[in-house]
Amino acid sequence: MRQVALNTHISGKFNTELENLRNSVLTMGGEVEQQLIDTLKAIRTNNAGLAEKVVLNDLKINSMEIQIDEECLRIIAKRHPTASDLRMIMTISKAITDIERMGDEIERIARLVTKNKLPASKSIQSSMLLIGERVVAMMRGTFDALARQDEQSALQVYEQDNRIDREYKRLLTYTTEEMERSSEGMQDWLEILWALRSLERIGDRCKNLCEYVVSLTRGQDVRHMPLENMQQKIENLS
Amino acid sequence: MLKLFEHEHLDVKRLSDEETAIEVRNLSLQFSDKPVLNDISMRIPKHRITALIGQSGCGKSTLISCFNRMNDLISGCRYQGEIILGGRDINHKKENVSRLRTQVGMVFQRPNPFPLSIYENVCYGLRLQGVNGRRQLDDTVEQALVDAALWDEVKDRLFESAQVLSGGQQQRLVIARALALKPDILLLDEPTSALDPLTTLYIEELMAGLKKRCSIIIVTHNMQQAARVSDYTAFLHQGRLIEYSDSDSLFTMPHKKQTEDYITGRYG
Repeated sequence: MRQVALNTHISGKFNTELENLRNSVLTMGGEVEQQLIDTLKAIRTNNAGLAEKVVLNDLKINSMEIQIDEECLRIIAKRHPTASDLRMIMTISKAITDIERMGDEIERIARLVTKNKLPASKSIQSSMLLIGERVVAMMRGTFDALARQDEQSALQVYEQDNRIDREYKRLLTYTTEEMERSSEGMQDWLEILWALRSLERIGDRCKNLCEYVVSLTRGQDVRHMPLENMQQKIENLS
Repeated sequence: MLKLFEHEHLDVKRLSDEETAIEVRNLSLQFSDKPVLNDISMRIPKHRITALIGQSGCGKSTLISCFNRMNDLISGCRYQGEIILGGRDINHKKENVSRLRTQVGMVFQRPNPFPLSIYENVCYGLRLQGVNGRRQLDDTVEQALVDAALWDEVKDRLFESAQVLSGGQQQRLVIARALALKPDILLLDEPTSALDPLTTLYIEELMAGLKKRCSIIIVTHNMQQAARVSDYTAFLHQGRLIEYSDSDSLFTMPHKKQTEDYITGRYG
């Protein structure tokens, strides 16, 4: 674990700017995590009001993305960061795009409740909630790894996506079979499929963030490679 | 909507008198027949760092030298327009220039300590003003050196020659000498161009702390420094003020193409 020290620059203002930037992305991550928790609660209790709140709250997350992006631009223009500082800012700039897209996926899931399109089948609903809980845990682990700049934790979280993918595929097969059995309610099934796909995509976004954590702490680009190769690459650096 | 970052961006075109340290009104200046500044009008904010940037010969050093009438020393210098400081036009012939220069301190590119002790360097201006009380001098010297972030390094050798100090220490000593007179405005003419990068960062950090005490105007060739250290930036070209705004805007989205070309290293 090689943390980027944010508070050791000669310029106290630069320290503060980087610290604020880091805190802001964690705040944004926390907001999105809470959005998913609220969405799952809304599904569980069929609470359209809560789901509506989630949909509206997505605007706040969009605004956070824009503000953090502008701050990254401002710091690059004014501070000309290099090395770990530059990696930190680029990591944050990329991370917020993924976090904002997580927010969009969550909004889509919440609309299942606002449009009263929750699956009639209790078993599908509970499977969906189960994947949702796993995704929440993955998000929490991801933001924690980002906050602590801990690439080992990031790799452990990265692995969790395999399980989410497996459960998603199982549910996908089940719902497709249901759709083949009867064309009735096809539109509703599609809505459910999209929501499941959104949950799976949030897991993928978490994987992207985990890759950024490795890039931040070790300066190595580990995108587009299997987990074993990522681990090997990091071990070779040690 | 939640606001994640707070950045103050005063509109320098609409500063009130209370917010203004110096107001320049239609200032033009010639050396003999050569025009150097051309109809410059601007308000420089109080307790902020304002950077003047531009190519060599664009008039930025000449402009800050107007703020404490240093150009008076150059023969053939003529100017029109007003510079308002504390409600008065400092270009007025009745202006007390000695008093003006205590109010507006200046630090140059090369550190220029006098061939005296560290202590005497700092209290030089006070002695010229007739202050001789030991206690008052001691207190002022200490405070000025603390403010210039030099006290800890020299407190045990105040009566040694200032010439033995390093370049960075000498520059901070010169800043302390200016601060001892409690200036309202501190003019810095390329104060770090003769210093190494690390010492430069220490001086910049010092500036950030000093702006609580006075308004700072810095001339620099180093655009990165202007971006790092300043709150507001003015870009001059061939004696004209091309663009003047908060540094965040100027360095991320300048309005004038000439500014964009200059700060991005293009030829206009």
